Amino acid sequence: MRVSYPYKDLLPGIDALAGVMGYKSGTAPEPVTDLIAELSEELLTNGEARAEYTIFNHVRLDKVSRTLGVEGVVFNVKPIVFSQLKHAEGAALFICTAGQEVGMRSRRSMREGDLLRGYVYDVLGSEIAEGAADKMQEALRAAAATTGMSITNRFSPGYCGWDVAEQHKLFSFFPDNYCGITLTDSALMNPVKSVSGIIGVGRNVKYEPYRCRQCDDKNCIYRGRKT
Amino acid sequence: MDLSTGTFYLFLTLVWYPGKQILLLQIVVMTDLLERISTCVEFGKVDIKSPYPPAMKGQEGAFELTRHALDKGVSPGDILEEALIPAMSRVGQKFSRNEIFVPQMLMAAKAMSSSMTHIKPYYLSGETKRRGTFIIGTVRGDLHDIGKNLVSMMIEGAGWEIVDLGVDVSTEKFIEAIEQHPGAVIGLSALLTTTMENMRKSAADLRKKFPDLKILVGGAPVTEEFCRKIGADFYSPDPQGAVEYLKTLS
Ligand code: B1M
Repeated sequence: MRVSYPYKDLLPGIDALAGVMGYKSGTAPEPVTDLIAELSEELLTNGEARAEYTIFNHVRLDKVSRTLGVEGVVFNVKPIVFSQLKHAEGAALFICTAGQEVGMRSRRSMREGDLLRGYVYDVLGSEIAEGAADKMQEALRAAAATTGMSITNRFSPGYCGWDVAEQHKLFSFFPDNYCGITLTDSALMNPVKSVSGIIGVGRNVKYEPYRCRQCDDKNCIYRGRKT
Repeated sequence: MDLSTGTFYLFLTLVWYPGKQILLLQIVVMTDLLERISTCVEFGKVDIKSPYPPAMKGQEGAFELTRHALDKGVSPGDILEEALIPAMSRVGQKFSRNEIFVPQMLMAAKAMSSSMTHIKPYYLSGETKRRGTFIIGTVRGDLHDIGKNLVSMMIEGAGWEIVDLGVDVSTEKFIEAIEQHPGAVIGLSALLTTTMENMRKSAADLRKKFPDLKILVGGAPVTEEFCRKIGADFYSPDPQGAVEYLKTLS
């Protein structure tokens, strides 16, 4: 399933974006909020994020090795992710991307010496990629609901103990340049502002708003966030 | 800080030391200028046109004040050591304590770099010396650059010359840069666990070729333990830690 979302549907408000940069509501300095407003406005008219997911109706879950098999490919998802997927009947494998444009703008600004502008573009790019993943997840939830199924949270290689190198296994399901994304040997997606992962589907799976309790990574930005 | 403090100070001096007015006046003006430059950098006041911070609106910024200081005979070295470096150090410390965030660090850097426009010619002429050369790059296979850029900027603010090799840097490129800048310290950045493996390889090869080289490592997934394992000299989770480490070397 392929979906695309205009940037304008993905960017949260200025206060929320300043929050991503660390500021409590209303405390960001004016040049920062001004720049967020200017660049958000500029990007709103400028682009589209893309997301694609493929649903596999059957997955094999091995409780001993805590792995998940999809069409013969075994994902070593590790305990935290496994515990969330263990009741899944099927799974959606997904990738989302904000595209090249926002990253290019960020790098250009940095090269020209305007680090603040480059940084704000960078944060906007991350939020666009995350926003696209949220929307894609919502579309999947709605589609699953029509057949009486629920979905889990989304999980990405590189988070919750799942090795980022498993991106290669994930990408083995996608045709080359799927969604405009390529994967390097070191498991890095290009464009950089991209997110990949898996979502469990089944009658007995549930979305867990407090899954972070199981993880001890205090620095993770998803701590306390709903995804 | 209230920028009127300097003027007030000047007034008191004149009243209390009538016989030595001229000499004292000169010292006070210099101190005042250096303090003002430092404040401008700390709070990101670039030049007279910058509207931020609001309390300094319409006042001269780091750019103009540095020019005045040089014109009044303050040495570029004093501007660096007594105004710019302390300002950036306060910025780094506030960032480490989560009192300010990346954008304010970058605003300070911009003010610093406007001041440096006037200082750079003295580096070129050799009249002012840097504390050393710092070569930095994101390791092979990794395209992340924001963190690396922040670290370079803060280290430059601490008086070091920066050789930024960019992202996806091979060991050969690091070696080449070290050969061109003997005595330089090297910084490796990595943001993915997969590219930490390349960091390990680079660190090992560099150590083999340059046994005395100081290697600094950082990036979100990097840890103290990993640093020790790969034989690097220092791990810092943030730019300020890197600056503090470099201070111990210069
Ligand atoms: C030489 O000395 C030194 C000293 C200090 C040094 C140094 C060198 N270099 C850096 N430092 C230090 O100083 C800097 C200033 O304080 C800091 O630099 P940073 O670069 O760390 O900080 C920047 C200024 C701001 N920080 C950032 O921009 C990164 C923030 C976090 C939250 C993050 C974000 C925002 C994103 N991500 Co993702 N992301 C994470 C990050 C987790 C985290 N808490 O850091 C990290 C980097 N991501 C990770 C992962 C896994 C991923 N991400 C992905 C995607 C994304 C977003 C698109 C959503 C977004 C933007 C990504 C981007 N690269 O632009 C994916 C990869 C994208 C790709 N292109 O391949 C994906 C692979 C997930 C997926 N499967 O989709 C993790 C990598 C660890 C790993 N397991 O390998 C990660 C550490 C999160 C985690 N698990 O905790 C310090 O590290």
